[in-house]
Amino acid sequence: MKALEKLLHKWDPMFEKGAKWEKFHPLYETMTTFAFTPKHVTKKGAHIRDGVDLKRTMFMVVIALIPCLLFGIYNTGHWHYEIQSYLPGSEFEAYRDYMTGFGDKVLYGLSRVLPLLVVSYGVGLAIEFVFGFLKGHSLHEGYLVSGMLIPLIMPVDVPLWMVGVATAFAVIIGKEVFGGTGMNILNVALTARAFLFFAYPTAMSGDKVWKGGTADVIAANNGMLPDGATGATALADLQAMKTNLTESASLLLEKFQAQYDPIDAFMGMIPGSVGETSTLAVLIGALILLATGVASWRIIVSFFAGGFLFGLLMNAIGGNAYFDMPAYYHLIIGGFAFGAVFMATDPVTAAQTSVGKLWYGFLAGGIAVLIRTLNPAYPEGVMLAILFMNVMAPIIDHYVIQANVKRRLKRLKTA
Amino acid sequence: MDTTLDIFVKAIFSENMIFAYFLGMCSYLAVSKTVKTAVGLGAAVIFVLGITIPMNYLLQNYVLKEGALGWLNPEYGLDGAHTIDLSFLSFIMFIAVIASMVQLVEMLVEKFAPALYGALGIFLPLIAVNCSILGGALFMADRQYSTIADATAFGIGSGIGWFLAIVAIAAIREKIRYSQVPAPLRGLGITFILTGLMGIAFMSFMGIEYKNGDKKAETEQVEAPKTSQNIELNK
Repeated sequence: MKALEKLLHKWDPMFEKGAKWEKFHPLYETMTTFAFTPKHVTKKGAHIRDGVDLKRTMFMVVIALIPCLLFGIYNTGHWHYEIQSYLPGSEFEAYRDYMTGFGDKVLYGLSRVLPLLVVSYGVGLAIEFVFGFLKGHSLHEGYLVSGMLIPLIMPVDVPLWMVGVATAFAVIIGKEVFGGTGMNILNVALTARAFLFFAYPTAMSGDKVWKGGTADVIAANNGMLPDGATGATALADLQAMKTNLTESASLLLEKFQAQYDPIDAFMGMIPGSVGETSTLAVLIGALILLATGVASWRIIVSFFAGGFLFGLLMNAIGGNAYFDMPAYYHLIIGGFAFGAVFMATDPVTAAQTSVGKLWYGFLAGGIAVLIRTLNPAYPEGVMLAILFMNVMAPIIDHYVIQANVKRRLKRLKTA
Repeated sequence: MDTTLDIFVKAIFSENMIFAYFLGMCSYLAVSKTVKTAVGLGAAVIFVLGITIPMNYLLQNYVLKEGALGWLNPEYGLDGAHTIDLSFLSFIMFIAVIASMVQLVEMLVEKFAPALYGALGIFLPLIAVNCSILGGALFMADRQYSTIADATAFGIGSGIGWFLAIVAIAAIREKIRYSQVPAPLRGLGITFILTGLMGIAFMSFMGIEYKNGDKKAETEQVEAPKTSQNIELNK
């Protein structure tokens, strides 16, 4: 370590103003601060002495995402072999059991998830570098997290070029035009997903994208899914139940609960976007984020509370299978937990005040359940609910601050 | 037809004047620099929409629409009144109602909130030509709401939707005042981009269906995301 530090410091002059490699200073600084603390220090005013800077904070989120990533890789592999196994004469029938064929499943998962990661980081970091050169600052750290989040919220069969285009859109229009990291209004990863969702809806929803290689299976079986196989997610199944008028809601719900056992759903053994399925992995990540103080517990707790209360409200109204679904199901299926822990807590786009955070989380969770149950166009509502609350966060903050100002003025007058 | 509550909620969210139809953009962009003025103008728009749409509704149904003058027949014995079609006058009549209401609002604001009057400046009288107000009246005529309660709900809902949009963007613009937006984009440029991004966020409410939703009234713009989605689900 010491030797490396010495070497880097020897190179320092080459990148200084007026020196040979001046243009590449942003790149150089990015690389050195990755391993060591930056050498520039605050000259005046009070300041905190700490090794934790933006880069370390962001890295903590990446570490917290690792359980989701690992589980996502395995889950991707499992569902690929699961849908394969329904082909007539398939050799993979034993693979329908979750733990059988561990090695094969991991290998397949890696072969699908790693390219997504590479594209997301490659495109995003390239754009960040270009903007860094143009503006003459070192690479902004924010993309470390966004680049990890984007693959985790994509369906596994999304074409790689789409991921690239969406990443470019989110980084340039969603972030860089506002001035880069820390200045954006909408969460970058969610902007990328929303962009794809509205621009290429067939690649982002339906029943052909959630299990790797579904299209191949369909092609091999004369253009339709083999008997017994399904390509839909739990949420899409629920949407279908809503419009199914031939069977009663309670019967449909019974079927649903038999197919998606709550324990399985909590562990994440259900199809869905790459990294969002496992509530358990998300909660491990949440523990890391809360222990290191990176994420706000106010947002996470109020997000879950909002979702649960609105779920109960829907139960009270009742009427179809989706309304009648037990409220706790909302918290464990789809991207609810993932959104609550990793998306809503984004410190840049969330509300900034303590009271504001409670409102922000509560409304985001509630609106997510509302969109799920009320809007037939979107089986999943978490992404859109968080984006909507990103837009509303500044106004929440504004009124929280105004209320505080008023309260203190009053206190001043009475004293 | 939709229930009154459906119409109200729909007008606020899924058929938001700004994010679904992009109506009333000029004052939306110009007066959204601070939350305080945005709240003032938003409230004025709610008031004007809430008053003019029911008034225009009465005008439409008892004077302008084809056969609307039919009530003259039995009561006053004017034969053939039910064949009169004055709908070619609707633009000018609607605008006349709106302009007079805006005059009233202007006087009220000047009297009771002179500071706001100064801050809103030219944009207060310009509510008269705010596209969302006339747009609201024309939507009302086009969608043929069955009762005056529905029309009022639509008017107030549209106003609240517009209010939400302008207040939200004003708070965001106050926040991004400290952002390092690239020089060419500062001011209106970034606000246009921002409006587009906010439109994405508001799409969450589009396509929410009401039991007997009036399909004809929805423009293709609103329908687009829904249909592509439905086709996919039906496959």
